[in-house]
Amino acid sequence: MSSFEEADTEETVTCLQITAFHPGPRQSGPFQSIKLGMREKLPSSEVVKFGRNSSICHYTFQDKQVSRVQFSLQLFKMFNSSVLSFEIKNMSKKTSLIVGDMELGYLNKTDLPARSMVRFGDYQLLMEKEDGESLDWFETQFILSPRSLVQENNWPPQRPIPESGCYLPYSTQNTSPTEIDENESWIEG
Amino acid sequence: MERPLTVLQVSLHHPTKAPAVFATVPSSLQHDTSPLLVGRSPDSHLQLQLPRLSRQHLSLEPYRKKGSAGLAFSLKALSRRGYVWVNGLTLRFLEQVPLSAVNEVAFSGVQMVIHVELGTSLEAFACCFFVSPSPLIYRPQAKESDEWEDIPQALPAPSSEKQDPSYLGSLHHPSQTGDSPPQPSAGGGTEIQLQGEPADSLLC
Repeated sequence: MSSFEEADTEETVTCLQITAFHPGPRQSGPFQSIKLGMREKLPSSEVVKFGRNSSICHYTFQDKQVSRVQFSLQLFKMFNSSVLSFEIKNMSKKTSLIVGDMELGYLNKTDLPARSMVRFGDYQLLMEKEDGESLDWFETQFILSPRSLVQENNWPPQRPIPESGCYLPYSTQNTSPTEIDENESWIEG
Repeated sequence: MERPLTVLQVSLHHPTKAPAVFATVPSSLQHDTSPLLVGRSPDSHLQLQLPRLSRQHLSLEPYRKKGSAGLAFSLKALSRRGYVWVNGLTLRFLEQVPLSAVNEVAFSGVQMVIHVELGTSLEAFACCFFVSPSPLIYRPQAKESDEWEDIPQALPAPSSEKQDPSYLGSLHHPSQTGDSPPQPSAGGGTEIQLQGEPADSLLC
């Protein structure tokens, strides 16, 4: 028997893709200590913290205006559902966290929709969930956007991410919404 | 001026393995705003000496409801194998439920009743623990279907000892809030009986 035959059946993993924008410089900006583009696998019971304190936070922002722990994310399962959902909680006493149109004060929490814009200070984080089968693990992927994500509320449509890990921003010249069939190819011709 | 802490008055009972199972339970503890972990692991904030308990079996997470000044709590099941029974609901792995003022919780034979006494501090909360020699939860029909369950099939009837009627009453089941996941309707009301009065410390 080969190890291939003996291995556990592979499961797809729920992935939270975070596309971030901050108006600061890209090279020495607040995201310099974050591994961009890499999918990180975490246990599903883990509470993922975002903030300035590198000893507590999984994702560290190099910015003194960011709280030691700014916000946290954790998974939960709806009753009678096999799908994992994310919950987001504001851990900052000083700064509100805006999730979609909802403002969260200190220790307020809310369910994160499958696609949601999260904002605090000058930070914009587009969070997109890709459902998976595994209940034991989930993945996160952090990507930078060179352009603001909230201009005229035109968030980038869901699209494949290039291996460089850099999100190609939504063209502001295209003012009409684009509807893509799941079988439709992105590459025309 | 220091704000008063929210206090969880937690009564514990195990039908066959007390007091050994509660040997490492302190009389009180103070915790920050991170989830308080209950399980077998030494890393748990409340460690219970039950071999069939998961290393992290459940968590009690403080949070603030929108518009509320004080802390609220949600209970989440963290055991992949065992279930946690809360106020008539059976929680499986990663399912969670907001807690009410009085809550019945059962897992792996442990019976736990949690009274939430509201404070205004948002920095921390306190837990006071009492071990009860008598059953805390009377359930005519057992609803927990934990595969590791070692609680006797037929729970002993509530103690015939003198009871304070103020400790008896139907539970308030968690209501759905805008910032909580939807919950199925709760099961029938149950009655509780608390044994063991708070110690004469400041919080407990």
